[in-house]
Amino acid sequence: MIISRRTFLGCAAGAVAVLRLPPVHGIAARTALSTVRPSTILDLEEHCCLRESLVGYRDALGALGPARREVLIVPGVLGTPPWAARRIAQALDDGATVILESGAGFASAREFRAHRAALDEYFQIRIEEPVPLWPARATPYVDFTWPSAVRIRDFTRAIPLASQPGEIIARAGDCPVALARRVGVGTLVFLGSPVGPALRAGDTQAHGWLADVVG
Amino acid sequence: MKAVIDVRNPRRPSSAMKKAIGDNMIPKPLGFEKGLELVKRAGFDGVELWLGDVPWFQMTTTDAEVRALRRAVESAGLVVSNVSTGLHWASPLSARDPQVRARAVRIVEREIETAVLLGADAILVVAGLVTEEVPYNEVYLRCVDVLKPLGEQAARAEVKIGCENCNSEQRFLISPREFSQFLNDVNSPAVGIHLDVGNIHDTGFPEQWIEMHGRRITRIHVKDVLRHRGRSGDQSVYTNLFLGDNNWPAIRAALSKVGYDGWLVAEMEARYRYAPDQQFYDTARAMDRIVSGQLA
Repeated sequence: MIISRRTFLGCAAGAVAVLRLPPVHGIAARTALSTVRPSTILDLEEHCCLRESLVGYRDALGALGPARREVLIVPGVLGTPPWAARRIAQALDDGATVILESGAGFASAREFRAHRAALDEYFQIRIEEPVPLWPARATPYVDFTWPSAVRIRDFTRAIPLASQPGEIIARAGDCPVALARRVGVGTLVFLGSPVGPALRAGDTQAHGWLADVVG
Repeated sequence: MKAVIDVRNPRRPSSAMKKAIGDNMIPKPLGFEKGLELVKRAGFDGVELWLGDVPWFQMTTTDAEVRALRRAVESAGLVVSNVSTGLHWASPLSARDPQVRARAVRIVEREIETAVLLGADAILVVAGLVTEEVPYNEVYLRCVDVLKPLGEQAARAEVKIGCENCNSEQRFLISPREFSQFLNDVNSPAVGIHLDVGNIHDTGFPEQWIEMHGRRITRIHVKDVLRHRGRSGDQSVYTNLFLGDNNWPAIRAALSKVGYDGWLVAEMEARYRYAPDQQFYDTARAMDRIVSGQLA
């Protein structure tokens, strides 16, 4: 199937259904507790600009074992090739949680423009230009509120989210940097501050956050 | 059992340590060639070339120009002891920004290339920089990741990468055991330690670092240290040889114990305010005493 950018979310769910996220236990309830599902990492290869993030998720998932919720993780996204968009669409259509992690914090202006356009056209996620979090008087941690309240190390630059449908699930100070949105029967999680490098560095709270997402 | 590979200069038959000094010590008005004459007259055997720190040796210096530097060194009756760089302070191998990391890797690659052109078999690398922004664990993993392939490149070129122990400045690999574990994790016979006996300050004793790292030592930087000043004060913690707190008889004994017979390279932070050429003569004489062991 060849998918056009504009038809992506139509393929995913017939229509974009934007709902306020239920608490994590509510989502888990949709899945039979006895069901054991694998979590999958989608390697965008040259379109993944944070390879260390991919390694972080891979190692962390390996340590967690099978998940109760179907989760597709797309680490360090810079470009979004059509095959990747199709895979993400299919996952959402199947009711999966998709973690789409931006790796564009250090991108050039041209790369960032393309990244922003692709996020908007494929996923209707609207982002602002990266903001530097350093220098800072104290470590500018990213505070997550979903699926659990955790504090994770920043990654120097964060990509703020513009006002849009969905639930803001993390902030760096006042700046919204992560969002979760129901798309049909699936859940799309966008991270404007990468978590994978913190996983790789052994950040306990980052591991806890991922464990809670996976269920 | 796999043989232990000596990371020191395998091509040099002499068992006596030799003396070198950095070209970044050359007083600016002298320039490179007259500076080399001073290095030779002062009694040094070689010169350490600092990529990026001196006008004659930059990342943009061509291969042909590097060969010309070698000719100048040899014409002065010297050899290049090793290639070093301070460029990794601004472009660390541990940077979060992948483009900065790529630049840092390129600097190491250029050090390897120029070492071959210059007839040297060792380079210095400042591996990783822990900051408030980039925490220790990230730095550690990125440095291991990046040094594995660089070690392979270096091995192909028959060059050793010496990671310098800039303990206080890097806030990284603070203890000798930690450094040893790091080298184990890199797991490359071409990656060792460029041990600076002045950089350990009040966190340990250089003679113990020498004992612990032994055959992994690629080069030794020498300077003295005034421990009571600490690194964060407004006065330099470093001073000239024999004026500080290093226990030189213990350092010399440890060098003998591990059989180190490579280069001693002077790296003086404190400079003479007047008659800067005199510092070359004084340093060379002091290093002669270290080499001979006449330290009583």
